[in-house]
Amino acid sequence: MGLPDASGDLSSEVEVDAFRRLFPLRFYERHLSESIRPDGRPLGRARDTTIALGAVASADGSALAKIGSTTMLAAIKMEVMTPSMESPDEGCLAIDFHMPPICSPIVRPGRPAEAAPVVSKQLSDTISSSGMVDLKELSLVSGKAAWMAYLDIYCLDADGALFDAALLSAVSALSHLQFPVVSLNEDGRVVVVSEEDGGKPEKEPVNREKRKLTLKSIPFSLTCILHKNYILADPTAEEESIMETLVTVVLDSSSQLISLYKPGGPVLANTSVIQVSFSPLKHTL
Amino acid sequence: MAGKPGTNPTTYSPSMATGKTRPRIFKDHDVDWVRPDGRGFHQCRPAFFRTGAVNSASGSAYAEFGNTKVIVSVFGPRESKKAMMYSDIGRLNCNVSYTTFATPVRGQGSDYKEFSSMLHKALEGAIILETFPKTTVDVFALVLESGGSDLHVVISCASLALADAGILMYDLVASVSLSCLGKNLVIDPVLEEESYQDGSLTITCMPSRYEVTQLSITGEWSTPKINEGMQLCLDACSKLAMIMRSCLKEATSTSQE
Amino acid sequence: MEIDRVDGRTANQLRPLACSRNILNRAHGSASWSQGDTKVLAAVYGPKVGTKKNENPEKACIEVIWKPKTGQIGKPEKEYEMIVKRTLQSICVLTINPNTTTSVIVQVVNDDGSLLPCAINAACAALVDAGIPLKHLAVAICCCLADSGCVLLDPTKLEEQKTKAFAYLVFPNLTLSILPEGSLKVEGEPVEQAIITSVTQGAMSVDDYLHCLERGRAASAKMSAFLRRSLPPQNPSDSSRAG
Repeated sequence: MGLPDASGDLSSEVEVDAFRRLFPLRFYERHLSESIRPDGRPLGRARDTTIALGAVASADGSALAKIGSTTMLAAIKMEVMTPSMESPDEGCLAIDFHMPPICSPIVRPGRPAEAAPVVSKQLSDTISSSGMVDLKELSLVSGKAAWMAYLDIYCLDADGALFDAALLSAVSALSHLQFPVVSLNEDGRVVVVSEEDGGKPEKEPVNREKRKLTLKSIPFSLTCILHKNYILADPTAEEESIMETLVTVVLDSSSQLISLYKPGGPVLANTSVIQVSFSPLKHTL
Repeated sequence: MAGKPGTNPTTYSPSMATGKTRPRIFKDHDVDWVRPDGRGFHQCRPAFFRTGAVNSASGSAYAEFGNTKVIVSVFGPRESKKAMMYSDIGRLNCNVSYTTFATPVRGQGSDYKEFSSMLHKALEGAIILETFPKTTVDVFALVLESGGSDLHVVISCASLALADAGILMYDLVASVSLSCLGKNLVIDPVLEEESYQDGSLTITCMPSRYEVTQLSITGEWSTPKINEGMQLCLDACSKLAMIMRSCLKEATSTSQE
Repeated sequence: MEIDRVDGRTANQLRPLACSRNILNRAHGSASWSQGDTKVLAAVYGPKVGTKKNENPEKACIEVIWKPKTGQIGKPEKEYEMIVKRTLQSICVLTINPNTTTSVIVQVVNDDGSLLPCAINAACAALVDAGIPLKHLAVAICCCLADSGCVLLDPTKLEEQKTKAFAYLVFPNLTLSILPEGSLKVEGEPVEQAIITSVTQGAMSVDDYLHCLERGRAASAKMSAFLRRSLPPQNPSDSSRAG
């Protein structure tokens, strides 16, 4: 940090920066009282969101989602498995969320981020609660073969609202998923037909055309920070570290409540706030 | 990860006239052998670099060589771990990891432990560690997709990320690898070629100073082959470094606008 | 409206509650809390010198260690740890002992549904037992939404698995407050109406959720009364405990 320069502009800039680092809470409260955030957004505005489908060529379905600078890469790999005895006509979807050390200064190799297993559990709960994926669609031959779908989500850049971005990339990857073509071989086992030698007449593909998953309902989530009387939508990592009360609301496309997740934090008045946090979400739907 | 319009992928194939010996020394069944992606034996994959891929890091870079896609973040210089002894030069800490979907079969990434130490050794010689005493610079790499020659992409990308972070270096570090398949030398091998190779050679160097920071040779090699391979790699390295340098220049010129 | 529950309870009926304090000799505070067959033991150590990881010169730190009944700690347990930690952080006065760490160890004795609420209640009682300054108490409850749309309180494990959705709710319990009247309102609603923690699973409509909130809040009053009854100092002269 440079010394205050002779020119007045620069010195005031340095002071603002120092003030931000020394008294982050007061710095934010000054902004909030003016109904604006340090990055220039109004309180209720989410950051720009982009989705790119098919970002990973080696996967069966993939998507890259960005909310502001928070970046998530989700990819699905399909494997054939023998379904369990209890549910012979169902496949399986395994969801895992990773925070590699590249994504944030907090994560170091050998010391995984505390948030990773929590977000991972939240994601699998949300996707199973919403019922968006019918596991029966992952079945190939009842009782004999089914798809095991591994959905892995990597956080490439962590800048707040991790769950929102992760869910967005996961849902996009599922919508992009294409099943590989498979057929039964002589031993009655399911093998993947590679696309180059595809179309051999004696091996009838089990799944005739390339199929896609039908997603019943699509969950959307929004994380908000509650601080005093203010509600800040789509927080950045800095905002999350300063103001601790987070609420994540997940609604699906038919406006069902999938999850209302508020792990502690200073007390929240319920009805009004919850209803307010619904509204920007409905706006994005 | 789309590139900016107008930045066509640039290749950096060596221009050496070694082609004349090539067809003659092939065995008969080797003659019509074509590389899986249709490149010439001494032709490298198009290289694409971009700096500033990760905002929360002090410096970062993304590299894409054909199907090999890598992100490297640099953190620091920051406080060393408490357990570390005092040292009047800086420390370098490297880690390479793979995504579970990087490899064709899920969760079968190569040996990252070895890659981490190789990355460390390749970069250590180029960084001016005296400029940040008592602190640590962390270099973390994530291989998003593995398409062969992962390590040399990681090393080149890491040196670009270090430059983006403003860590002082003697020169950019460029790295190129080469596979020996039968009688042929194949530069910048893809995954399939790597699995059939008889031997491999990787050179990491600082082209402007004409210094090699790391040289690793595995498998069976004859001395003339090694010489030929080293010349090929060094030539490719200097061209790769030019691409990296132009990427850095581009990043600074766009930020100034 | 009436729905038959396996154990013959009505929809609003809680399972028998039991709470005992000061059951561990070495811990600075401890409590066991049971709701029917679900039983959780919580122990509190601290405030003690902060570990380097949790060092914070302005605030005390709370760490929660979740011990499952059997086996290794997995993702669900990590999530529980985080939720319990955040919930306890919100009720503790963290500025009194800055740069210290208070450890809360939660040992599951038996799980028969409503495990997380039971653990939060146990941890809260243990904090009181250890004499950690709290802003107010917290009462946790699980509401289960049956297929018919009825809300079942304090479900057993079987009921949790059968129903389509459930919500874990944590309410503050502050009947006695020294704060002036006005400050007890947040956005025009009394703090009594607020929730500290909410975790839901399964799809439900927004109205169903609000209905859950209402029923949960009504039941939490009963639990608050029980918690307060079981908390007054048992023997004021117990200074012989671990120091």
